[in-house]
Amino acid sequence: MSGMSDGSGVHGVGRRRFLRGAALAGAGLAAGGAAPADGSGAGVTVPTPGPAAAPPVPPPVAFHGVHQASVLATPRRVTAFTAFDVTAGDRRELADLLRTVTDRARFLTGGGTPESVGITGPPTDSGLLGARVPGGALSVTLGVGAALFAADRFGLHDRAPRRLTTMPVFPDDDLRADWCHGDLSLQLAADDPDTVLHALRDIARHTRGGMQVRWRLDGFASPPRPSGTPRNLLGFKDGTANPDARSAREMDRLVWVGRGAGEPGWAVGGSYQVVRLIRMLVEFWDRVSLSEQERMFGRARESGAPLDGDREHDAPDYPRDPKGEVIPLDSHIRLANPRTAATADQRILRRAYNYDRGVDSNGNLDMGLLFCCYQQDPARQFETVQRRLAGEPLTDYITPFGGGYFFALPGVRDEADWFGRALLTQKGSERS
Amino acid sequence: MPRSGPKKLFTPRACGIGGALLAGGLLAGLVVAGGGAADGAGRAPAAADGLPHTSVEVSSGGCGRGWRHARPGTQVFDLHNTSDVAAEVYLKSPRTGALYGEVEGVGPGTTRQLRVRLGGGTYAFMCLPDDADAVTGPTVRIRGGGTGGPAAAPVTEHDLIPPALDYQKWVGRGLDELVGRTGQLRDAVARGDLAGARHAWLPAHLTYERLGAAYGTFGDADRKINGTGAGLPRGDRDPGFSGFHRLEYGLWHGESAGALRAPAAALAADVRRLRDDWAQARMEPADLGLRAHEILENTLQFELTGRTDHGSGSNLATARANLDGTRAVLSRLRPLLVSRYPGLPALERELDRAQDLLDGFRRGGRWTAPDQLDRSRRERTDALLGDLVERLASVATLCDARRTV
Repeated sequence: MSGMSDGSGVHGVGRRRFLRGAALAGAGLAAGGAAPADGSGAGVTVPTPGPAAAPPVPPPVAFHGVHQASVLATPRRVTAFTAFDVTAGDRRELADLLRTVTDRARFLTGGGTPESVGITGPPTDSGLLGARVPGGALSVTLGVGAALFAADRFGLHDRAPRRLTTMPVFPDDDLRADWCHGDLSLQLAADDPDTVLHALRDIARHTRGGMQVRWRLDGFASPPRPSGTPRNLLGFKDGTANPDARSAREMDRLVWVGRGAGEPGWAVGGSYQVVRLIRMLVEFWDRVSLSEQERMFGRARESGAPLDGDREHDAPDYPRDPKGEVIPLDSHIRLANPRTAATADQRILRRAYNYDRGVDSNGNLDMGLLFCCYQQDPARQFETVQRRLAGEPLTDYITPFGGGYFFALPGVRDEADWFGRALLTQKGSERS
Repeated sequence: MPRSGPKKLFTPRACGIGGALLAGGLLAGLVVAGGGAADGAGRAPAAADGLPHTSVEVSSGGCGRGWRHARPGTQVFDLHNTSDVAAEVYLKSPRTGALYGEVEGVGPGTTRQLRVRLGGGTYAFMCLPDDADAVTGPTVRIRGGGTGGPAAAPVTEHDLIPPALDYQKWVGRGLDELVGRTGQLRDAVARGDLAGARHAWLPAHLTYERLGAAYGTFGDADRKINGTGAGLPRGDRDPGFSGFHRLEYGLWHGESAGALRAPAAALAADVRRLRDDWAQARMEPADLGLRAHEILENTLQFELTGRTDHGSGSNLATARANLDGTRAVLSRLRPLLVSRYPGLPALERELDRAQDLLDGFRRGGRWTAPDQLDRSRRERTDALLGDLVERLASVATLCDARRTV
């Protein structure tokens, strides 16, 4: 028997120690697959739901760049948010894992024809998307959790992002351990569920030995009803007051970790990701009068306008309403964003999705918000806002049960780069 | 587990290779393949998959006809069977015999696609009509063009017979041991020694699990010997529930010796019958590769989940026995794999790793139940075994029995 061979002397399915990754990394580009829309990365502009904007059709999100462009991208129709625990045994295996995730993400976002392995293995692709994986249909966001930097894990404790902690328990929380934290966060988003599931299966398959799913929650973004910012499952427009993701200046001030902030050099270009899984008690909510609902939010349900305004994007004028007679002082929008100079740098970039996962054991619908936001300092931003919101009237109708704090890694700059390369190869605790 | 074609290891008589020879009566219009008009210009037509396509004839007289413009890279061959019998088609290296791809059972008059990545080198199609000798088409040379997809020499039934015979003998010895152990279990129950029975149950059960009794290996006998209440009208309460798990349920739920006497005797009898039948049977050599893969698929589905636990909490011991069962198959396939499977050393390393991990779950003769593993150990277990089945899947596809003549 002549054995494994081919015309070039190259072995086909040479696997990494425990990952199927790189060797199967799709023949996309070679076969004329759609190249990523933009290889340059820097300064990618992404539309956000702006004032009076028609529903934007998100352009393909470039995979390569200084940042993970998916952070700023407008939410797609569907998402799967999955937290993984790393089972890789040492730093070398961790590097293999992150390289593999990068290779797969590059292929799955850029599209192309999955590799054929002949008789040497089962098909490398699940086939969910047909013979050819379309380019630009998927976005991938990868983050790392504080647990990955624990002293007894991979020896990375001296290079953890300075502001990365384990998500604390807030007073209104009812956290379930199985739905919290994780070494890695992987968010996949697309406009069709099959695209997301295809990617999830692909990535999980290629990293079977290196990481295991800790928890997963799927979400969806509603279309504008009938216009403006999409609604959450309490029926209110959610995210109206988001900072402008098209403004690089604003993003540098609020979202991206920059130089000179005392962060490790490798972390520059990343962003802190806070994920909160928030059950909404929708049956209860539906039994609440409209005016009470609106006073809890501070906005009109139908238009999304602040209660002192006419249109969704009218700015509430709190100084004119010091006692909260029109917009109650404890309303959600007023607590979350008081719109003062002092609170301007506390704003967060919300990238929330709705979720629906069936019923609970008492037959109540289990749905709510897959809240996700980005910022350059969770203590200054999310936690400050969250503390202000403690005890707000809305807390009676929602139960945060899970989530975690992650650090969305800097972008993969080019074909040779990979997620976490600088983290794993940088010397010691070098600061930016 | 879904597999195409028959997969039962345990058959009363050996099947001939290729099993079903459907050839004869099929009537099909003879279609003349013009050699792929679209390919005439030597350029890639714009197919929906974005890949270059080449139409190639499948027949005894014109095997490989139509491949006139060799090009490197990922591409699709539209294999059109112009003959009146079904055929298998390989794309191989005429120099080494290694296969780059195959399509099984291309029906008369039909067209099937073969997608491959080809680099510089020589290639030829091989057509294997169901009722006739294999024919190799003209050799095509591709110059330059990078690396081709992975290829491996086909494993034939002939290659698989010695390891299969050896494996069958090993199973036979295991069944002898099993007869002894289930006899001891039956005797302990019969004399009312329930502590002794609980003590005897695990070694007996592991002896069975070590034989890799997964996915129909032992046919109906497995259901009687090692089934659960699944599929029975009354589940675990069904009078038809029998075997190891029936006894396990009773022994760990305070049932009386009297209530367990009949199930224990039935188990011993069923095992004895299996041993006797096995001695008369011949296992299908072509299934050896599937065995290597599927034993641990079974472990993932039924043991790591705790699905088969009926009180003893011994799923991880079972997983460990299944690992032995996998090794028993793999060690016999090893000579065929060393030259075909570059991932073999890594696979063997991960098997060792999994073994060490599982061994660590036994403390002082007691096994930890899966639901008692903390998250980190559970995740490591799931990761290691999950990784193993990904790797073992290649063993199954490589060791599928293929014709070469």
